[in-house]
Formats: sequence, structure tokens, C-alpha cells
Amino acid sequence: MSSATPGSVKSIYAHLDCLVEGLDQLKTAGFKPKEMVVTSPLPRPEIEEALYEGKPSPVRWFTMCGAIMGGLSGFSTASLTHLNWPMIIPAGKPLVSLPAFVVITFEATILTGCFFTLLGLLFFCGLPARRLQIEVTDPRLSDDMFALVLNGLTAERASKAREILNSTGAIEVSGMEASNG
Amino acid sequence: MKGTAYGAVTRDILDTLFKPTSLYFGMIGVCAAFLLFGGYCWFIQLTQGLGVAGYAPPVFWGVYITTFVFWIGIGHAGTLISAILFLFRSKWRTGVYRAAEAMTIFAVMTAGLFPAIHVGRTWNSYWLFPYPNQRELWQNFKSPLMWDVFAVSTYFTVSTIFFYIGLVPDIAAVRDKTSGFIKKVYSSLSLGWRGTDRQWHHYMAAYGFFAAFATPLVLSVHSVVSWDFAMAQTAGWHSTLFPPYFVAGAIFSGCAMVITLLIPLTKLFKLEAYINLFHFENLAKMCLLTGMILTYAYATEHFIAWYSDNPYEWGVFHYRATGNYWWVFWTMVFCNCIAPIPWWFKKYRTNYTWLFVISLFINVGMWFERYNIIPGALSHQFDPNSWVYYVPTWVEMGILLGSFGWFGFWFLLFVKVMPAVAVAEIKEGVRPPLKSDEVAA
Repeated sequence: MSSATPGSVKSIYAHLDCLVEGLDQLKTAGFKPKEMVVTSPLPRPEIEEALYEGKPSPVRWFTMCGAIMGGLSGFSTASLTHLNWPMIIPAGKPLVSLPAFVVITFEATILTGCFFTLLGLLFFCGLPARRLQIEVTDPRLSDDMFALVLNGLTAERASKAREILNSTGAIEVSGMEASNG
Repeated sequence: MKGTAYGAVTRDILDTLFKPTSLYFGMIGVCAAFLLFGGYCWFIQLTQGLGVAGYAPPVFWGVYITTFVFWIGIGHAGTLISAILFLFRSKWRTGVYRAAEAMTIFAVMTAGLFPAIHVGRTWNSYWLFPYPNQRELWQNFKSPLMWDVFAVSTYFTVSTIFFYIGLVPDIAAVRDKTSGFIKKVYSSLSLGWRGTDRQWHHYMAAYGFFAAFATPLVLSVHSVVSWDFAMAQTAGWHSTLFPPYFVAGAIFSGCAMVITLLIPLTKLFKLEAYINLFHFENLAKMCLLTGMILTYAYATEHFIAWYSDNPYEWGVFHYRATGNYWWVFWTMVFCNCIAPIPWWFKKYRTNYTWLFVISLFINVGMWFERYNIIPGALSHQFDPNSWVYYVPTWVEMGILLGSFGWFGFWFLLFVKVMPAVAVAEIKEGVRPPLKSDEVAA
């Protein structure tokens, strides 16, 4: 474990129910979700509910914008290239054919929407990260343990946090160098 | 998986990585031999021209297009299992979806080679894609062949993103269990994933969107592939039945290939705790459903060809069943309609030998189905003077064999360097470590 630094407290939990209890007690004691960082080997709805309370991820706006842009650009590419070389095809087929361009529009919608979702995911997750933050050098956190880190605390609040973490069953509690969650 | 702890899940799955056995090297060797032979055959074609293929005018779509459609079809099960079953919250997908997704990626990679092989002058195959050029020449976006380029490339890109994003947390788990140079490689591949609440929050939202994007692609890609045929005024092809018929066939063959690949994988890596008869039985049921749709489609297209009283249409279907390609047609019927019948009985769909053997029959049958559709129609069109009997040459069959080597090589490489079972998602199905459980005990 890293040495204690005023302002940040790190704890390790071996049990999910203890971690959730710790989160609840910290919130009751006035700690804000944005001050806490939970690291876990898998997504757990209990953690999500405790910290986000049903708030949706903004990634969805990237997805929507990407899909709309993709659809427009797919249809525009197909239409404008046909108009750019206006070859009259027999049987009265129009240059800009809606049914024929549905496939291109659909594929471009999916492709661009997917790319933008990826961009949104990377942006909001802070990926790719050049180096791991110190609290996750612990290999147990991708295996079977949970970490709860509190950042930006005054000495008094750090002491209160440590007390709650210890009382709710954290198996290790310490200060830490830095964290940006 | 009752009683399995998170730590045991990580250990069991990551233990399958690295440390290749002599059997593994043997399998890699077989794939490499097939691949080399296929590469040699392609070299012959590149240097001597398409004359080395058995094309007989007007049959210019033969083994290459047949194999292209076959591999695209194989590539359907992975995204079906990973995306559609994810949206339906189906629990049995968890054990098998990672390997099925990998199969999808490698199958589409294999399929993607064939249009380039088929066109002969492979170095010009970039002409398929729209790019700004000096003469302002663009593709015909009204052509189903152009739709197919978009459909397949979009499917490959979306499936790859979905697959890789799904892998990231598991790559991070591998990173945390390795050291030295290997750790550096996995650190880069994990993109610095830490598993924080913020990352999981956005990850789960994005994963749902990827699944939602991939889901219509499962249905659309093979529909578009079927329009390569159905949009043409070719007797035996020009039918509105083709899209559902092709989609059902693709899922049928894809699920069978998942069974073929996962039974040996499960046995070799001792993963029965995570992939077992529960999963294989569900895959067999999926094959039964889609196999029934396929059999119904075969019957319908033959009935409609006869009932239409169109001599050209009925001529093609009659020829397929009784003409030069009768053995292709009846192999297809046996493998796809008759061989899966034992799976109607639980005893046979919960027996590894029956599962494996029947899945092999389906794989063979589905290749023959595409062969039956393509040269089986082109060689017997409207003008009797153009009737021919197309027979593939050793070069074409060598490239077909090479495609299996290419696919197998990638798949074997994958299962030794990446977790073939999804670690984080398996843990979601495991009871979490709870203090209350320990107190109660």
C-alpha cells in the first residue's frame, strides 16, 4: 500500500455488501459521490445505484449525433455522386432513388453511430490512459476485491471517512498519493 | 456455477492462456500447412490469371463466391449470440459469446479475402470502395454488389469494435496477472483500463449501444448478401424469399460452427464449469429452429417454382435436384434437413459426440447449399445453348482449403493469447462475495 497523503483515503473491501454499506454510510455522513472512486473487477448494479442513482451516461448523445450524421452523410454520398455523373438509366429510374439508397444510408448510420459511441466511451472513461493511477496497481482489483478511494478530503473529513471505512468491514484502510477517478 | 468464487473464475480462465502444448502446436501446424497450400494456389492464380479456375461461361461465380457466402454466414452466430442475446438478457450466452465473437471476426476476415481472390486482379480490389478520384468516377450505389461492400465492411468494423471493447476489462485482468514484456503488451492493449465506477458506468451504456447497433446488422448483412442474387433476373435466384432464407441459413451454420469449435476447446482447456451441455443444448435448439426455417424455405422455393408454371424457373430447380449437380443438392438436403433430426431428442443434443458429428454435417451442408444456389443456377439459365457443367479446379479447392487454415490459425492464436471465456461477465453470473453469507455459514 502507498503511504498516507492528506486528502485521499484508500480502502480495500473483500465483500460487496460491506462496500455498499460503506458507500451508504459515507453518503449519509455527507460525502459526495463525486469524491468517491470505486474500483471493481466487474460492473455491479449496487455500486452503480449508490453512486449514480439512475443517472444515464452522456455517451448516448455521442451515439445519437453519430447515427444522425452517418445517415445524412451516407444518403448524401450516394445521391450527390449520382447527381455528379447524371447518367440517365432506362426504365425511368430516378437519379436519386430512395429505396436503393436505404441500404447505404442504413449502413452509414450504424457505422458512424458506432464510431461516435466508441469516441464517447473513450472520452468519458479517460482512455487510453498513458499510465495506471496508483490505486489500481493492486492486481486484486481486477480479480476478487473492491477498492473505495475518497479524494479531496480535509484532515478532519479524512479521519471521519477512515472511521466509516473501518467500521463497515474494509480489510485495509490507508492514505494514498493521488487519485483522479 | 454455484459456489464458484471470483478468484477461481479469473484463475480457471486465465490458466488457459500461454503454455501451449504439443497438441496445440500440432493443430497450428495443420492450419499452417493448409494455409501455405492455399497461398500457393492463390499465387498460381495471381501469376497465371483466372484461367486456372474452372470458370465455364456463363458460370463466373463458382467456388470463390460460394466460399465467400459460406464464411459470411459462419460469421453470423457470434454477433447473434453476443448482441441479440445480450439485449434479451439471455443467461446462456455468457459462457460462449467470447469464442463465438472471435469466430465471427475471423470468419468475416476469411470471407473478405474471397471477393479479392474472385476478381482475379486483386491489386485493383480497392476499386470496390468509394474514394475521391481525379475523374470523379463513383460506384453505382444502386447496385446490390455495392450494398454488399458496405454491409460486409460495416459488419466487420462494428463486430470488431464490439469484440474489442468487450475484451478490454479481461485484458486488464490478464495484465494484472503477468509481468515483464508481456505485461507491457497487455497494458497497451487494455488501454489503461482500471475498472473504476466511472468507467463501468459509461462502459455498460456504450456496450448496450454497440449491441443495439450490431443487432440489426445480424439480420441485414445476410439479407444484403442474398440481394447479390435475388436482385438479378436469374432463374433460381430472383425471389423475395431469399433474405429470410439466407439469414436463417447463416444463423444455422454459425451456431453449428460454434458447436464444432467449442467442444474441442472446452475439452482441451478443461472449461466444463463455464461451457457445458447447457450451452451446447441451447445452441442445438437454435440450430433446430433455423434448420426448420431453412427446410421450409427449400420446400417453398421448389413448390413455388413448380406452381408458377414458369418453365425457366422450374427448369433450374428440376435441374438442381436431378441434373449434373444432383449430388450437391442431395448432400445439402441430407446434411441440413435430415442430419439434425436426432437433435429433436434431448438424449442426442446432450451428447458431445452427437453434437459434434451433427454440427460437422451442418457445416458441410451449408457450404453445399451455397454451391447449389450459385453454379447450380448459373449453369442452367434461359438459353439451352449456354448450359454448362462447371467443375472446380484443384486451384480453387486449394484456396478453399487454405481458407480453413487461415481461419483456424487465427482462432487458435486467439485462444492462447486472449481469454476465450469472458471473465468479467462470468463473474456477473456468480454470487458475489458477501459478508452476510460468511456470517450465516
